[in-house]
Amino acid sequence: MKGATLKLVMVGKRFKGKAGPTEALRDINLEISEGEFVTIVGPSGCGKSTLLNIVAGLEEPTTGWVAMNGHRVHGPGADRIVVFQDGAVFPWLDVWGNIQFGLRVAGVPRREREARVKEYIRMVQLEKFAHARIHELSGGMRQRVALARALVLRPSVLLMDEPFAALDVHTREEMQSVVQDLWLRSKTTTLFVTHDVREAAVLGGRIVVLSHRPGTVSAVLTNNAPRPRTLEDPEVVEQIRRSNEILKAEVQWSNQPKVPL
Amino acid sequence: MVESAEGSAVMRGRERGSRSRFRHLVPMVLVAAAFVGIWEIIVRLNIWPRFLFPSPVDVAISLYDLWTRALLLRAIAATLVRLSVGFLISLVLGAILAFLMVHFQTFGKGIQPYVLGLQTFPSIAWVPLSLIWFGFSEAALLFVTIIGSLFAVTVSFADALRTVPPVYLKAARNMGSDGMDLILRVTVPAALPHLISAAKIGWSFAWRSLIGAEVIFATVGLGFLVNQGRDALNLPQVIGMMVVILIVGVLVDRGVFSRTQEWASRRRGLLPSG
Repeated sequence: MKGATLKLVMVGKRFKGKAGPTEALRDINLEISEGEFVTIVGPSGCGKSTLLNIVAGLEEPTTGWVAMNGHRVHGPGADRIVVFQDGAVFPWLDVWGNIQFGLRVAGVPRREREARVKEYIRMVQLEKFAHARIHELSGGMRQRVALARALVLRPSVLLMDEPFAALDVHTREEMQSVVQDLWLRSKTTTLFVTHDVREAAVLGGRIVVLSHRPGTVSAVLTNNAPRPRTLEDPEVVEQIRRSNEILKAEVQWSNQPKVPL
Repeated sequence: MVESAEGSAVMRGRERGSRSRFRHLVPMVLVAAAFVGIWEIIVRLNIWPRFLFPSPVDVAISLYDLWTRALLLRAIAATLVRLSVGFLISLVLGAILAFLMVHFQTFGKGIQPYVLGLQTFPSIAWVPLSLIWFGFSEAALLFVTIIGSLFAVTVSFADALRTVPPVYLKAARNMGSDGMDLILRVTVPAALPHLISAAKIGWSFAWRSLIGAEVIFATVGLGFLVNQGRDALNLPQVIGMMVVILIVGVLVDRGVFSRTQEWASRRRGLLPSG
C-alpha cells in the first residue's frame, strides 16, 4: 500500500447562499508528502470540511486546484476515501456488507474480496461482529466499520472529516490510538480534519491551523513527537499549548468588529 | 453455556410471541361479536322489512351459497389477479416517475402540483373515459386501477426517495458507485422502509379504484357481485360481499404490507427486535 503526494494550490471556495455569497476558503496552499499524517484544525465554520470535500472531489473549488501525485484531481475517486463524521455506514448492510461495499463496486473477485474484508475486520478488531447489524453497534464500533470500509480499498489518500467528534471522550481517545496504529502500519497519506486541538496534536505529524471564515492557513506546526503518542506526552502537550494560542488569537481576531481599511 | 441460555431465551420469546398473537386478536373479535349482536337485535325489533334489512344469518347463508357455487372464490381470484397486475404496473410507472421527479428537480417542481392534484382526483371519475377508450373489458378495469393509484404511488415514492440522507450517497459515490449502481445499491435499500410504506398507501388506492370500477361495469369479481346483489334486490348478497371486500382488504393489508413493513423496519433496528 503506497501513499500519494497531495498538492493544494490557491484553493478557494465561495458559496452562493440566501444571504449573498459567502467565502468559505481563501488561497489555501499546502503540500503533503507521501505517507504523511496531517491534521487540520480550526474553529467551527472555517471551511475545513469543505476543504476535505474538495480534496475528495465531492466539491469543486471556485479557485485553484488539487493535485495528487502531480495530477490534477477531478471528481470523486476510490483513491481518496473519506471517513465522515457520523461514519455514514449503511444501516441496511451488516458489518461485513459495509466493509466489502467498495470492493464490490470495484468488481473485486469474490475470493480476494473475502480475504481482504477478513483482514480489515481483524485490523479494527470487529471479528466477533462481522455479521452484526449497524444499529446493534456502539458509536465507536461504527467508526471502526467506517475506518475498515475506507482502508480496505487501500486508498492513496485517507481523508477523515471529524470522524470522532460525536464520540464520548474515552471512545475518542481509544479511536485515536486505533487510527495511529493503523497509520503506523500502512503509512497511508492522511488528512485529518478536527476542531479538537488535542486530537490534532496527538495525531498530526504536521498541524495546519485554519483561520476563521474565510478559512486561510494561519500556521503550520511541525510535530516530531515520537510515536505512538498519547495525550500525556510532554511534546504533545506543548503542541496543544502552541496550537491553542494560535487558535485563540484567531478567534479573538474574528470576534473583533471589523473596521474597513 | 452462553449458547444454551440464548437458546432458551429464544424459546421463551417464541412462546410469548404465539400467545400474544392470539391476545391481540381478542379485542377485534369482541368488537365483531358486539357488532353482529347489535345488528341481530335491531333486525328483531322489526323496524324495517327483512328484505331491506337482512339479519346476519341471512348474510351468512347468502355467502355460503355463493361459496358452494364457487362464485365467491372465482370472484376473489379475478379481483386479486386484476389488483396484482394493475398495482404492479402502477408501482413500476410510479417508481420511474418518482425517480425522475427527485433526480431532475426542475421536472419535479413542474410536475409536482399536477401529480398532487391527480392524486386527490376520484378514481371513479376516470371510469367513463376508460369505458370509451377500452370498452367493457379487462383493460378498462386495469386502466382505472392503474390511474387511480399511480399518482399516490408516485407522490409517496418521491417522498420516500427524499428521505435518503445525502451523506450515504456521498459516501457511496466516494467509493466509486455511480448511476444505476448507486440507485440499486444505496438509494433503494436506504429508502426501503419508506418505500414499503409508500407501496402500502398505493395499494389501498388501487384496491378502492378497482372495486369501484368493478361495481360499475365488471362481469366477474367482488365489486360485480355487490352490484349483482343490488340488481336482484338480494340484500344479503350486497352486504355479504361488502363484508368479503372488507375482509380481503384487511388480510392483504395485514398479511402482505404490514408484515413486510415490520420486517424491513426490524432489519434496520427501527423496531425492537425479538
